[in-house]
Formats: sequence, structure tokens, C-alpha cells
Amino acid sequence: MAQNPLERRIEGAARAMAYGGGLVLCAMAATTVVSIVGRMFTGMGLGPVPGDYELVANGCALAVFSFLPYCQLKRGHVTVDILTSRFPKRIEAFLGFLGDVLISVAAVVILRQLWFGFGEKFPYGSDTLRDRLGMGYKPFFPETTYELQIPVWILYGLALVAALLFVIVALYTVWRSFTWVLQGQEDHA
Amino acid sequence: MTGLSLALTGFVLMLVGIFLRMPIALAMAMTGFFGSWYVMGTPNAPMSQLKTLTYETFSTQSLSIVPLFLLMGQFATRTGMSAALFRAASDWLGHRKGGVAMASVGACAGFGAICGSSLATASTMGQVALPEMRKRGYSDTLSTGVLAAGGTLGILIPPSVILVIYAIMAEQNIVKMFMAALIPGVLAALGYILTVALYVRLKPDSATTAPRVPMQDRLRTLAATWPVIVIFGLTMGGIVGDWNWAKPGAQALFTPNEAAAFGAVATGLYGILAGRLSLAGFKEAILETAKATAMIFFILLGADLFKGFLALTRAPDLLATWVAGAGFAPIMVLLVMLLAYLLFGCVMDSLSMILLTVPIFLPVIEVLDFGMSPEETAIWFGILALIVVEVGLITPPVGLNLFIINGVARDVPIARTYAGVAPFILSDLLRVGLLVAFPAITLWLVGVVF
Repeated sequence: MAQNPLERRIEGAARAMAYGGGLVLCAMAATTVVSIVGRMFTGMGLGPVPGDYELVANGCALAVFSFLPYCQLKRGHVTVDILTSRFPKRIEAFLGFLGDVLISVAAVVILRQLWFGFGEKFPYGSDTLRDRLGMGYKPFFPETTYELQIPVWILYGLALVAALLFVIVALYTVWRSFTWVLQGQEDHA
Repeated sequence: MTGLSLALTGFVLMLVGIFLRMPIALAMAMTGFFGSWYVMGTPNAPMSQLKTLTYETFSTQSLSIVPLFLLMGQFATRTGMSAALFRAASDWLGHRKGGVAMASVGACAGFGAICGSSLATASTMGQVALPEMRKRGYSDTLSTGVLAAGGTLGILIPPSVILVIYAIMAEQNIVKMFMAALIPGVLAALGYILTVALYVRLKPDSATTAPRVPMQDRLRTLAATWPVIVIFGLTMGGIVGDWNWAKPGAQALFTPNEAAAFGAVATGLYGILAGRLSLAGFKEAILETAKATAMIFFILLGADLFKGFLALTRAPDLLATWVAGAGFAPIMVLLVMLLAYLLFGCVMDSLSMILLTVPIFLPVIEVLDFGMSPEETAIWFGILALIVVEVGLITPPVGLNLFIINGVARDVPIARTYAGVAPFILSDLLRVGLLVAFPAITLWLVGVVF
């Protein structure tokens, strides 16, 4: 398992974020159940939780974002190993390394484009500052969710934090799988 | 390049990447991304799509059911429900020859009713049932084979994560898909039980008999499975019917999403109240859910990009028009597709296969005349595809269920598990033939409920 401080810290951060996402997931489920109960007693002054649908959908998005780093750390993404498991161990490890490199590229692209998306939803900041940060034109009105009017930039902002950790973890896995190539075979993720 | 050959090139390159161990999600995403770039001449469109695509895919209303079902399944594996199911099933069937193997099938089916994943079902039931079968002197071949096969019931019997994703891709009603899967799922369990019965008749020394358990004890252990019955009854029973309360007829209690949320809360609460779900177990459940959820949604994101590229090439339309014009017999086309699933299933995981092929196969199936309404055809095809894809989970060399069971029974050589699962694969194939020949088996219950 994780030996040096950096590894331990990265594993800790990915775990903590996954637990956070798990709590969001549990909260979503609980909200839905409260909403169902509320709806059953509509006649008696209770009612469904307002905006329960959008809470669940956006909660799901944030949970998924926060699960990405942990999944990458544990090599959770599906690969087909049937052919490569017959290759020499070092080549197999090298192909795993390439996979991690490509995941990192994808993570960077996702983060970068999500940042632009955030810029399109974020209605603050002076033009010069926005320009310097690559945030594009200020939107004329802040986009919000339908029922609860939650500004979408807040949701994107939270997703950005997780996407950033995804990039960090992905880069770390590149380094890790590189050491595996040097070592001649893969270790346990 | 024409659209068709372009799509084909992309597809082949993607497969090469996949076989060279590229994560499947990434192979789909890259094919979609570079393919769209090639068609449009600039990467701007897919790039600007990505500004919102990731968040929007992850926040798709109908997909939030997936992590909730996964969480429910994770809780269920940690609350001793699998042990209760197995105890009850083996009390009722265990005295017969091969009865404990039959009981494992029954318990897998019961567990499949609250868990939407084959791998979780195989590993949980494996841990419970394998030691018992060995204690009673069942052969390694039979006991590992029956558990690997029984695991596939996890996904055939609703709720089922893959069925949810098929329903979303094919734009079908999730509840109808679940209803359609129920009878084929029960048939699968019965087929496996029959297979065990025949197997022990041909190889009498592979199983033992035991004294009958008194009726009183049987009833007591059956009663102990009440959490499974209640949770399945409420979650799956609650979504049957129409969601529009103004209309006459059966009324649904929940939407499918709500049922999944309710199921997760109910399973978790039961675990906590019964003292079976510790904090450590809860954390483990979260981490496992996290891994599976991220894996699935990453593939879904890749599939979105891939689908965008396919749409640009118009390949699915072209292919459908060509197949319709060429005058093939619809049933032959269907059989070729099912065969392709069988072959690919030997090397690929079921979810990726469904995501890769449905955008191509379904338009073709929809233009062919099977003598059913388009909706019925899509539901029927979905169930067939699901079953055939699941056969891939138990066919060597890459049957994931086989590896899971092999991981539980470390001292059994995998070759013995391969041999043990073969009769069950035969039973699967016979069932597919039956369902192809008689679509009514799949569609009858849907018609009754709606």
C-alpha cells in the first residue's frame, strides 16, 4: 500500500473526496425518501421536497465527479487484458502506463473545458481579469437551476474542485505506472 | 471516405486500442473526438461540446438511478441478506441430490432481486454457498460452475444496471424493461436448477444428499428472508403501473429513480438497525460504489462522444437502409447480431458492449419487420442482447464471473470452473432460442401491466 508521504496524501485525498461524494449520494437518497413521504401526506399539510428532482440530478453529477479520482487511483476503469496478459510483463506494464497517460490527457481536457464552461456561467469579475483567466465573455444573466434557482456556476465550481483532484491523481498514477515499467511488472493499485 | 467506411475505420481503430489495454471509456471518447474532428475539419465542435457535456452527462436525470442501485447492492451484500437467502433455499432444496447447488441458484435469483450487478451477486453468494457445498462433498466443478452461472441472475432479474442503461439509450420505459426481464430471469433460474438436476444424474458422485429439514425450521428460515421480500416488493412493486395519477389503471407508487433511492435507504437502514452494517462496512460500501459509479459514468461519457461521431457519419442510418433494402430475413440479421454479442462477450465487458453496439444495431433492428410494434421490438431485442451479453460473463477466457468465483475458491484450478460452467452456458443458449422463437414470453407481462 501507500508507503511514502506523497502517496499517502494522494490516497487520503482521493478517499476523502469519494466519501464526500458518498455522503452526497446518501443525502440524495434520503431527500428522495423524505419527498416520497411528504407527497403521501400532501392532504395533511405536508408535501414533496421542493426541487427534489434537480437536487438528485445535480447531486448525482457532483457525486460522480468526486468518485473519478478514487476510481483512477484504484485502476477502476475497465480494460481488456486478454491479449496483453500474454505479453512480457514489462510491455504489459508499459501499455498500462500509456493508458494512464491518456487518462491524464483526458482529465486535463475535461478540467480545461469545464473551466471554460464555468466561465460561461460565472457572472462576476472584471473583463481584464476574466480575459486573463480565459473565462470568456461575462454572461448577461447568471444561469440557475429550474426550480430552486441555484446558480449553475456554484455547481460547476464544485465539479471543478473534483476535476482538479482527478488531474492530480491521474498524473500521480502516470508516475506510479512509470515506476512499474522500470520495475519490470505491475504492483497492486 | 463515405460515412460507412469512416465509421468502420473508427470502429476498427477503437478495437485495436481496446485490445492494447486502452481503457474502454477512453477508446470510445478518442474515436468520437478525433472522428468528429476529421468529419468537421476542426476540433472546435467536440471541444466546445465538452464545456458542458461532462457535467450534463453526469447530471442526466434518468442516470441518477445508477449510483443509487449500486449503493443499494453494496449495502445488500454487507447485511447478511445473502446468507439468509441461501439458508432458506438450502433448507427447502438441500435434501435433494444436488440440492445445495439448486439452492445456490435460488439464492442468487433472490439476491438478484435486490442487487443489479452480476459480479456482486457472484462474489457474495460465492462466499456464502461455496464453503457449504464443499462441506457437503459437492465436486469443485459443479459448485464453482453453478455459482458463476448463478451470478448472472443478478443482472437478469430486475433491478439491473445494464437494463437501465439500455432503456436510456433505446429511449424505452425503464419499468417496461424491468417487467420484460422478469419472466426470462425466472426462466433462467429454473433452467439452471434443471441443469443441476440433469448434471447430478449424469455424474452422481458430484453431489450428495442430506436428510430433510423439518417443515417448522424451513418456515422459520424462509421467514428470515423478509427484508429481501419487503425491499423487492416495495421497490419493484412500487414502480409498476402508470405514473399519471389522473389515469385509470394500476398506479405506480414511485418513479424508478425514487424506487432506487428508497431501496438504498431501506437496505442501509435495515443493515444499521439489524447491527450488521458497521461503520467500516459502510465506508467500504461507499468506496466500492464510488469505483463502480465512476467507471460506468466515464464509459457513458465516452459513449456520448462516440455516438456523436457515429451520428455525423450517418453510418447507423446508412447501415439500416442497406440491411432493409438487401432483403435479408429479419431473423437471420438478429441471429448474426446475437452471435456477434456472444463472440465479443468472450473478451469484453457487458456494459461497454451494450454501449458500443446499441447505437448501431438498434436502428437496424427497428427497420426490420418482426411482426411487432417498434416499442415491443426494442424491448424484446434489449432482453435478448442482455442475456447474450451476460453469457459472455461466464464464457472463457474472459468471463468475469469465473474470475470472481475463482478468487473465492482459490485452490480450485480455473480449468475446473470452465468445465463446470459449460452445461449452464448450454442452458443459456437454449433459453435464448426459446425467447427468440416466442417473443411473447418476454412481452406478455409488459402487456398485462400496461
